[in-house]
Amino acid sequence: MSPERIDVTVIGGYLGSGKTTLLNHLLRRNNDAAVDGESERLAVLVNDFGDINIDLDLIESQTDDTIELSNGCICCSMVDGFAEALDRIVAFDPRPDRLVIETSGVADPSTVAAYGHGPGLALDAVIVLVDAETIRKMADDKYLAQTIRQQLAAAEVLVLNKSDLVSAEELTATQAWLRDACPDSYVVTTTNSEVAPEVLFGRMSTRTYEADGHHHPERLFSTRSVHADAPVTKPWVEELMGSLDDTVVRAKGLVHLADDERPWVVQRVGKRWSLRPHRAPWPGDPGTNIVIIERTAAS
Amino acid sequence: MITEPFTIFTARKIITMNPSNPTAEAVAVSGDRILAVGSLEECKSWGEHTVDETFADKVLTPGFIEAHSHVMAGGMWTMPYVGFFDRRGADNKLWKGCKSVEEVVDRLIEVESEMTDPSETLLAWGLDPIYFPGERLLAKHLDRVSETRPIFVHHASAHLATVNTAMLNRAEITAENPTPGISLDADGNPDGELQEPPAMRLAPAFAELAGRLRTKDAIWNYATEARNTGVTLITDLGTSQLSDPDQVQNWKDTTDDPEYPARVMVALSSMMGGIDDPTALAQIGVDVKEQTTAKLKFGIVKLVLDGSNQGFTGRISWPHYYDAPETHPGNGLWLLPPDRVVDILEPFHNAGLTVHVHCNGDEATEVFLDAVETVLERHPRWDHRHTVQHCQTSKQAQYKRMKALGMCANLFANHTFYWGDQHRDVTVGPERARGMNAAATALREGVPFSIHSDAPVTPMGHLHTMWCAVNRLTATGQVLGEHERISAEDALHAVTLGAAWQLKLDDEVGSIEAGKMADFAVLAEDPTTVDPVTIKDIDVWGTVLGGVPMQADPRT
Repeated sequence: MSPERIDVTVIGGYLGSGKTTLLNHLLRRNNDAAVDGESERLAVLVNDFGDINIDLDLIESQTDDTIELSNGCICCSMVDGFAEALDRIVAFDPRPDRLVIETSGVADPSTVAAYGHGPGLALDAVIVLVDAETIRKMADDKYLAQTIRQQLAAAEVLVLNKSDLVSAEELTATQAWLRDACPDSYVVTTTNSEVAPEVLFGRMSTRTYEADGHHHPERLFSTRSVHADAPVTKPWVEELMGSLDDTVVRAKGLVHLADDERPWVVQRVGKRWSLRPHRAPWPGDPGTNIVIIERTAAS
Repeated sequence: MITEPFTIFTARKIITMNPSNPTAEAVAVSGDRILAVGSLEECKSWGEHTVDETFADKVLTPGFIEAHSHVMAGGMWTMPYVGFFDRRGADNKLWKGCKSVEEVVDRLIEVESEMTDPSETLLAWGLDPIYFPGERLLAKHLDRVSETRPIFVHHASAHLATVNTAMLNRAEITAENPTPGISLDADGNPDGELQEPPAMRLAPAFAELAGRLRTKDAIWNYATEARNTGVTLITDLGTSQLSDPDQVQNWKDTTDDPEYPARVMVALSSMMGGIDDPTALAQIGVDVKEQTTAKLKFGIVKLVLDGSNQGFTGRISWPHYYDAPETHPGNGLWLLPPDRVVDILEPFHNAGLTVHVHCNGDEATEVFLDAVETVLERHPRWDHRHTVQHCQTSKQAQYKRMKALGMCANLFANHTFYWGDQHRDVTVGPERARGMNAAATALREGVPFSIHSDAPVTPMGHLHTMWCAVNRLTATGQVLGEHERISAEDALHAVTLGAAWQLKLDDEVGSIEAGKMADFAVLAEDPTTVDPVTIKDIDVWGTVLGGVPMQADPRT
């Protein structure tokens, strides 16, 4: 049997939107998380190592295109080509649990996401960062408008970043503009590229973290799960997904459909969801089990 | 006088591209350089010599210079060709064009029957189904070639591949794979067509194909194809990584072979995505110049700003595309951030390198011109020769700016033949199509220019490229843009001195005059005096490279 597929997260956004800062958080946080015993083996794929800020003490080994960290993370560059880098990561032993791809500033993230179901991979989510200061201007720029609007359209989760750099009125106006421009996307507002792992990866964190530039002592997210012992139907799944409101950031699980031996996987990121055959056998006895992550605080 | 014995080549006519001595009957060569050009008596007067009359009935011109091509052109010829147009391989063998799905299948059956290892994948390239009305090559057709051997046919557009059932099975490509681009038949099963690279790479053959493109065989084929078409200097524009010492060494080892039949200029480039650190890359570009040899050159940078016009990804200004597909977003793609081009350009400019930027759409040209203007305001530099590559839809006003800014243009003349009909009818419409690759405008406005094939995108061969610029005939035989046609003399200048100028090698190559490298194209006829529609049909004997005759492979 082939090993588990690597979950792929695509991070898009124009230059200056905060993608590299986000990656630096991930590499650092993963180290903290390793101490807490909740770490994933993370692989990060970047254009080149130029702006990645890795604590030298953490570097276990380094080649032209790969940096291995003592916390189990690997950081790869695309200098030899994007497809080649994907193959290298899938072949890595032990295989990473998650791959985060930083797209180039002009890329359409959906083009990159199209690689997310390649050999050994399973696309998890497309996250796009936008700069609260410049986004509305860029979206109407003669040269950039189409590039920016394609990036927005590709996003399942939109991270409105650098919110501290604009006035409250401007922020409100930009949030409204963004919700209008991207009705299908889940919008989170933040500073300094801080995004909760629940939103980013659909992974519950046992710790508290920074959000909106403030330290929140209480948990911002909760989970619940939906079980069904008897096989269900596609309309049942549709109804369940339709019943979830905007506080739900993520939902994911296996579904046992009547008249089908195979497991199906249902997944919701932000406001978009899909149901498709799972490309692996049942891990145990067949049965429907869907985990839902939702916001509890007015975050 | 010179003490070493030297060789004098006589010819029916020598076209020198040196305005002081435009034609000659003999050229004396000492070592790899030209000693003298003129009458036989003049050449003899330099001292002890032998006269070589091999070219007595031939016409010599300066060796052609292909200023925009890629080493993959050589790699392709490690695989069978199934394109629509007749094409000569690196060994000068004629591959007849495949005019229908049936002919593609027949070609592959023939190739397959000669393969010995039953597990080896059959890779083929160049499929051009836009010329097959109502027909698509699918797995069911390829299954007639083999039900057991995996087959992968790469399309000329580079956006599609067709595989057989054995390949679908080996790669486990099923309808359930959510990757976009797995084409399905009426029953919902993959039909063998894989659309766009994310789907194409599901087949392991895609990586195998990419691996063939930069091998030693590829580098060799690249130069033999050049020699067979009269080209003595080829470029590799943005497909090598000069930051990788192994690749530089590979180029050096291969070109050092005295038998290697071409000079090569390898451009500095960044393969993927953005350029996060152009300053570091510029330093690599400066350092690598120390590796320069007589046959290996450096000093230019290749950047890519936009996509392709026939793929609707070039950045074309308003009113944009003429008849784009319904799903098209309106304009093309940026491959570099347009508002950062100044920052990217500046370190290369300051390092004394010449920057060549791929601009298919006029919006890309505009961004490049604006960036050059800004960089020149900050760091005045004379004679930089920054070059607009492809320059396909650049406008009159932009050529005037190129002239004012000291820039060059390299026009994709072959497009008129291969895609001219589509440009007129679909991509940009009649008016803009008539003005594409505007060689007469470049000439009139005084912009130094060359013309190119972009091999392997279209076949290398400067007689054909000259023919395109001189006649501007499309594949259906219609003249597209009669006012942008140029004379054969001007086209010959474009593929010799014009190309040498923008590579900053015009002091070494590009004309036949004393002191320069003895690089000649050896032709059966004078391209400046034959009927212009026959320029492409002139027989090429081969080349002389650094004084050494390099005969083309026999045409078969």
